[in-house]
Amino acid sequence: MRWGRRSRAVLCAVLAAGAAGCGGGSGGVPVVNLYNAPQENLAVIVERCDREAKGAYRIALNTLPRGADDQREQLVRRLAAGDPGLDVLGLDVTWTAELAEAGWIREWKGAHAEQAAQGTLKQPLETARWHGALYAAPYTTNVQLLWYRSDLMPEPPATWDGLMKESARLAGEGKPHYGEVTGAQYEGLVVWFNSLVESAGGSILSPDGEQVALGPPAERALGVMRAFARSKAADPSLSNTKEDDARLAVEGGRAAYELNWPFVYAAMAADRPEMVKHFKWAPYPGLDGPGRAPLGGANFAVSRFSAHPEAAFAAALCLRDPESQRIAATKDGLPPTIEAVYRAEGMAEAYPMRDAILKALRTAAPRPKTPTYQNVSTVTAVTLSPPAAIDPPRTLATLKELIGDALQSKGVLP
Amino acid sequence: MSEGGIAEGDAREVVSKGRAVLGEGQRAERRLGLWLCAPAALVMLLVAAWPVVYSVLLSFQRYDLRFPGEKAWIGLANYGTVLASPFWWNALGVTLLVTVVSVALELVLGMALALVMYRTLLGRGLVRTVVLIPYGIVTVAAAYGWKYAWTPGTGWLAGLLPEGSAPLTQHWPALGVIILAEVWKTTPFMALLLMAGLALVPEDALRAAAMDGAGPWQRFRLVTLPLMRPAIVAALLFRVLDAFRVFDNIYVLTNGAQDTSSVSVIAYHNLIGGLNLGIGSTMSVLIFGVVALVAFVFVKGLGASAPGEVR
Amino acid sequence: MGRGGWAALNALVLLYALVPVAWIVSLSGKDPATVTDGSFWPTRWTWDNYRGIFADGEFTRGLANSIGIGLISTAIAIVIGTMAAYAVARLAFPGRAAVLGVSLLVSMFPQISLVTPLFQIERSLGLFDTWPGLILPYITFALPLTIFTLATFFREIPWDLEKAAKIDGATPFQAFRLVIAPLAMPGVVTTAILAFIVCWNDFLFAISLTSSSRARTAPATISFFTGASQFEDPTGSIAAAAVVITIPIVVFVLFFQRRIVSGLTSGAVKG
Repeated sequence: MRWGRRSRAVLCAVLAAGAAGCGGGSGGVPVVNLYNAPQENLAVIVERCDREAKGAYRIALNTLPRGADDQREQLVRRLAAGDPGLDVLGLDVTWTAELAEAGWIREWKGAHAEQAAQGTLKQPLETARWHGALYAAPYTTNVQLLWYRSDLMPEPPATWDGLMKESARLAGEGKPHYGEVTGAQYEGLVVWFNSLVESAGGSILSPDGEQVALGPPAERALGVMRAFARSKAADPSLSNTKEDDARLAVEGGRAAYELNWPFVYAAMAADRPEMVKHFKWAPYPGLDGPGRAPLGGANFAVSRFSAHPEAAFAAALCLRDPESQRIAATKDGLPPTIEAVYRAEGMAEAYPMRDAILKALRTAAPRPKTPTYQNVSTVTAVTLSPPAAIDPPRTLATLKELIGDALQSKGVLP
Repeated sequence: MSEGGIAEGDAREVVSKGRAVLGEGQRAERRLGLWLCAPAALVMLLVAAWPVVYSVLLSFQRYDLRFPGEKAWIGLANYGTVLASPFWWNALGVTLLVTVVSVALELVLGMALALVMYRTLLGRGLVRTVVLIPYGIVTVAAAYGWKYAWTPGTGWLAGLLPEGSAPLTQHWPALGVIILAEVWKTTPFMALLLMAGLALVPEDALRAAAMDGAGPWQRFRLVTLPLMRPAIVAALLFRVLDAFRVFDNIYVLTNGAQDTSSVSVIAYHNLIGGLNLGIGSTMSVLIFGVVALVAFVFVKGLGASAPGEVR
Repeated sequence: MGRGGWAALNALVLLYALVPVAWIVSLSGKDPATVTDGSFWPTRWTWDNYRGIFADGEFTRGLANSIGIGLISTAIAIVIGTMAAYAVARLAFPGRAAVLGVSLLVSMFPQISLVTPLFQIERSLGLFDTWPGLILPYITFALPLTIFTLATFFREIPWDLEKAAKIDGATPFQAFRLVIAPLAMPGVVTTAILAFIVCWNDFLFAISLTSSSRARTAPATISFFTGASQFEDPTGSIAAAAVVITIPIVVFVLFFQRRIVSGLTSGAVKG
């Protein structure tokens, strides 16, 4: 089955080499090529939409590489070449501005835009906009929470200071005391920094995305990162930790808590059923009170070079409709962007923390919007790594200079 | 260069022969020569020379595919940007380090390997054949082998390290693994070139030295090495230029994380990841310049000649 | 040194060449559950990884691209390279030094310097992500090697035979076709193998100038493998694919060992 679809997609890509694309495939049914990050049960959603389409189109599922950078690289390379073999693109929330500005994805207008916005949570919808126009339909969202072991930490602190104190107390008692954060030199480090800056009341870029903002809130954020990386809470491998390493450290009993996406809960339930009853969640910590949690997720966009955009818009809308989102949430653990889905069937079992997610989404901290996000993120991650070596005033100055260059696309990527 | 040298020898032979033949035949020969070379020359000019000129033109422009509206001629500004970037200098440093260390190791190991292959009588065919395997393996395939060998939990080499160490996630250990992968793959090639050089050393000279009481090390240092000098310099030139282009191993092993980008990797990131044709071309031109400089130094300073002449 | 000493040295050389290869082979034989057990040999050999990569159209397609692009590039490079090498080795004509000079320059060329301009040129010509888009640079990088190696072989061919043919009334082209070409055949075969290895090995052009499985060659396909789920590394599949793309070259190399060694060391060749 999988083979059949793949080979058809290949054939389609070959045919698309011409001008006509795959539109004229067997029986005149347009084939919509969907490119998305690996998602285990996406095929279930695709089959459902094929059935719903009743012959109006057929979706060919193509899987992108695992890493976000690799996914983006493959998409932009094909878009830069004007490849007509792409129709619906699964985009990370941070790519909207870049692809929209380059003119590679279509604006959502009229009925399509209305349908995409209907009942959709405000924060995820905002990630699909650029300069006031809608360029994608929100599919899934994501928000980080504080995940902790209640047997070690009965009262979850609301601030980073509180976390460091708890770690010091646990260390004094000879108990597992590490707190896992995504401290490796990659997007996760930028996510952490962005959240801290926003929690401190600032932002990395100005609202229009054209200037560097940073300033005193960023300096405070840098101070917290440095202090955390040098405190009892810091795992020795902090500067190499990504999401999955953080999850494994808690599951393995080395760490007392982690700042991570909700997938860790299902994983804990599956891997360590005996630990899950003490595995609790709390709002993402801030500087003076509750913080603004990192916001993630994915949206569907339609390629400028699609040969049959109408079918592509229709397919994208089906792939993110309430039932598709419910399947993605219950089968693959991806939080929905349509509020009503949180109350749908099966959600209470899959998402005991759904109210916490919804609450966190309201104040979540989106990442800066700029067509050069890739460059901004790369230089930020390089400058902040390793977190223990941050020297707030000096690091801030470097960040200002490098991000400023990156915004004008005259910066050099490492 | 060297090939030109051999060719000139032949040319004289050809020319003197040509004089004996009719003038008409000589002209036909000239025409044929030009026609026979034309396709090859055309391909090389179209696919190598024109792109180089084109990349020089691109390097004077602000040209980011994501901002098609902002394309403009900006003179040398891209060069200023790249040359002021610590990332560029770090990549150049990494490239030079990898080049120097791996070529030095290859020379020593390759010489040892060449001596073993040249002097051994037992299982000579087997050794000479098996040693070609690293040369034959696709670089990317071998790189994945090394990557998994050093990945904690998966790899047999990582298993030999202390608990919790992940060499590919740290700067110096990662560079070490990159150099190891380079050295493993290319030492056999170096050894083959050096073995061809060993064949130049007359047995008589070695015997005479032995009669004069020279030990094995003295014979190697005072007789073999000086006679092999042209072969060594030529092998070094080719390996240095090749090592300078290092890309595949780094792309697979670290993809430039932990400041391990080589100049090829950083140029690739700026072109394909950043879609910045201006900056990418500037780096391309700078890399080309460095390679030309290295080749010039070898040819003028060390009198390098291609292995072909060594015979 | 005694026999034992040489035997030990030889054994060391064999280990050097074979252990890393054995590791990839063994990794490709591990089943997904034991791939992260860190042992050198699999506890249980399985063909699943091989079945997996061939069940997926992507890799088969990559192999087909690799073979097709490699053979076409090699054939063209050999044809035009043979012509040029013959001229360089045997004929007196102006511009001979220039041909050799340009070839030498190209052979030392950093490929990355070509990637940026070619990316842009091929995008505008519609050659991006097509077979010709890869064949062109491959021919270019195989040509210097072809010209140098073949010129060396041609110089070793007895000159008198050609002279005799000419005296018998053959034109220079007939002399080339009827006398020299058959004698040069072994050299051409060796050179073709070396040129094919160059094309087969390429990674930088393959990932930069393609964007889909339409023209992506096998080494590039491997680097785009995805695991079954987001958190599963496709280790076994990558190892199996690495073994598959390595086999043809290793077979070539072992089979033509003597010729390859002479080809590598005789011309100004970099393989």
